[in-house]
Amino acid sequence: MSDNTGILKRFLKKVFLIDLIQGLTITFPYTFSKTITLRYPDEEKWIPYQRFRGLHTLNKNKEGKELCVGCELCQKACPTQCITVIPGEDKTGKGISDRIGYRWEINLLRCMYCGLCEDACPTEALKLGREYELASYSMLRQIRTKEELLNPQPIPVEIEGGVIVKARLEADDKGIKVVPDLSTQKRWW
Amino acid sequence: MLEVLIIIIKVVVITLVVFTLPLPLTYMERKVAGHIQVRLGPMRVGPHGLLQPFADMVKLFFKEDVVPAKADVWLFKIAPVVGMIPVFAVFATVPFGDKFTIPFINKEITMYIADMNVGILYVLAIAGLSVYGIILGGWASNSKYAMLGGLRSSAQMISYELALSFSCIGVVMVVNSLSLVDIVKSQAGWHWNVFYQPLGFIIFFIGGLAEINRIPFDLPEDEGTLGAGYHAEYSSMRFAFFMLTEYVAMVSMSVLMVVLYFGGWDGPSFIPIPGIIWFVLKVLFLIYVFMWTRFTYPRYRYDQLMNIGWKILLPLSLVNILITGLAVVKW
Repeated sequence: MSDNTGILKRFLKKVFLIDLIQGLTITFPYTFSKTITLRYPDEEKWIPYQRFRGLHTLNKNKEGKELCVGCELCQKACPTQCITVIPGEDKTGKGISDRIGYRWEINLLRCMYCGLCEDACPTEALKLGREYELASYSMLRQIRTKEELLNPQPIPVEIEGGVIVKARLEADDKGIKVVPDLSTQKRWW
Repeated sequence: MLEVLIIIIKVVVITLVVFTLPLPLTYMERKVAGHIQVRLGPMRVGPHGLLQPFADMVKLFFKEDVVPAKADVWLFKIAPVVGMIPVFAVFATVPFGDKFTIPFINKEITMYIADMNVGILYVLAIAGLSVYGIILGGWASNSKYAMLGGLRSSAQMISYELALSFSCIGVVMVVNSLSLVDIVKSQAGWHWNVFYQPLGFIIFFIGGLAEINRIPFDLPEDEGTLGAGYHAEYSSMRFAFFMLTEYVAMVSMSVLMVVLYFGGWDGPSFIPIPGIIWFVLKVLFLIYVFMWTRFTYPRYRYDQLMNIGWKILLPLSLVNILITGLAVVKW
């Protein structure tokens, strides 16, 4: 008997096009729902979380001394061998000890952002930052040296991340860059 | 002399309007698609992507016009035009609104080119011809996908045109006239045929979807199995003509639905808006429904399509005629 009512129900469902109408009522609200598209370079930008592994930074301590002691552990830990460290002696007090990284270079073309160098670092000098717009016109630009990586990254470390901020695209003859406006933060979900 | 001039002006105006309609419609389609899929749709060209259709048009103008090496060149070149003419010709009998008088010269002008006493027959016959463009295009391309698209189109046309025409007969029986103008006039004051002919309207809607090759019945250009179907080998402006045909066919089908079932220019009388605006609003709503269904349903399989056409819609339309006949005799 229950089978018969099932047949009848299915028949009526077919006759009154119930399934099709149900489908339409599902898609209609989506027309007015909030979009998940990120208008990335022009208007919005994604600020990653602090744990994001982007471009490397070399940190300084509170007194402004370089934390890198040129121990070469990051170079040894690197699976793709993209880090070159040449340690050197320095008595001018730039670093925290008398041994600093005389040269510290990374080839971003080979780097796979695994973060093993960060783990290997004994002084917490090396950290993978949140900079991810790394495209360039020249291959040489992809070899970043210590001097550049010592500068703080545009997004401050204190900001928690995982948010969308307003941004605008700035293009001049040097290249293009996306300038974020960190004052308005929103989560997209 | 003035009469002839007025008719020429009307023809030119309607042709120009219909020719430019695909531009806003492609924009609308992409926006509807975007928002249903929780995207934004075109946003980059102009404010909110408003200039996107013009950019596409310019791109299509400047693309290379490729003719396949083994194609039947003459047929290949003429097919888009063959498909395009009938969909434009449909608009000759469509009443867009009531009469209005031009000030100063006190001349009454009707908002249609011709009031034929066989309006519905003309429209159905002419609209059916546009499938020749698809068949010729598919045949002349000398490509298996295009060929299959053309074949499917012709088979689909035969199985759906019947039900479509039969569902119109219900309207004709209620109104007692074949003229589209009379049909609209008889529906004045909320006596819309869709309330008296709900079954007929559903059959007409489904048949119309199949006739203009929209999802869920767009088998002639089924991307999943046929590449792009009948226009797989077309590029540049010839492809644009096929696209234009598709959109104008969509407009003509929703215009027909409005005329036959939704009372044409008839609207609530307490809102002082000219009838033509009501007409356009209704047409826009139906076009939106077409797009809405397109991005909701998957495509029917080919045998399912045939089953629906022959085993369900055709008998149902006959039943509709029977019921309408009994009702007309009773009252």
